[in-house]
Amino acid sequence: MNGVLGFALLNLLGVFVSAVSQVLLKKSAMEDHGSMAGEYLNPLVVIAYALFVGATLLSTIAYKGIPLSMGPILDATGYIYVTVFGVLIFHERLDRRKLVALALILVGIAVYSLGL
Amino acid sequence: MTKGSPNNGNTRWSARVFVGLHLMLALYSLSSVCSKLAAGHAFMSWGFVFFYGAMVAILGIYAIGWQQVIKRMPLTTAYANKAVTLVWGLVWGLLLFHEQLTLAKVVGCAIVLAGVVLFSLADGDEGEEGRS
Repeated sequence: MNGVLGFALLNLLGVFVSAVSQVLLKKSAMEDHGSMAGEYLNPLVVIAYALFVGATLLSTIAYKGIPLSMGPILDATGYIYVTVFGVLIFHERLDRRKLVALALILVGIAVYSLGL
Repeated sequence: MTKGSPNNGNTRWSARVFVGLHLMLALYSLSSVCSKLAAGHAFMSWGFVFFYGAMVAILGIYAIGWQQVIKRMPLTTAYANKAVTLVWGLVWGLLLFHEQLTLAKVVGCAIVLAGVVLFSLADGDEGEEGRS
């Protein structure tokens, strides 16, 4: 299991980078760009897609060391970032059920890891 | 509108959209398979480039298909069903990569799945209360 941990961390980093890229896309979508070309070719969107490519590379490298079934399990940590960014950046309300859901995801990851 | 139970008149049509959603999610799960296959090759070797390219292509098709699906069904239902990709991970891992199915893996997967579904339902309720 020790060999798996480093690759799992790479995957988790990829999920985080992917979440940041989503935030940039949402930020860009909330701005007025004046033209259709401006909606797709502005710094936020270009950086977002570059980050997204980086995230896919990180997850591919992670698969050198983690089982296929662990990928979607670790991807679920994306909901943590969606929640944190939602509250901090987009000022969304924090739903108590979401906290329960995030706790379930973390417990599930721990239980899954015991089975490696 | 109640989540997950579309209007009566749309039931048959929605069943087709539901099948479409799950075809898209099954396709999406294959992008992870390609990613794992790419990982089996040296970085930037032909094998790596082929499977990484296939992964990106699948993600592109999925993105287009997903847009079509969420136009035709409640967003909450679509996101809640996304949890099925966790099950696909176990299935493809077992069938294609001979990964062991342990009790802890299956139980852990089920707990994460419950978390993802609960998160989607909570998110959907917020949307109904007028979150933009």
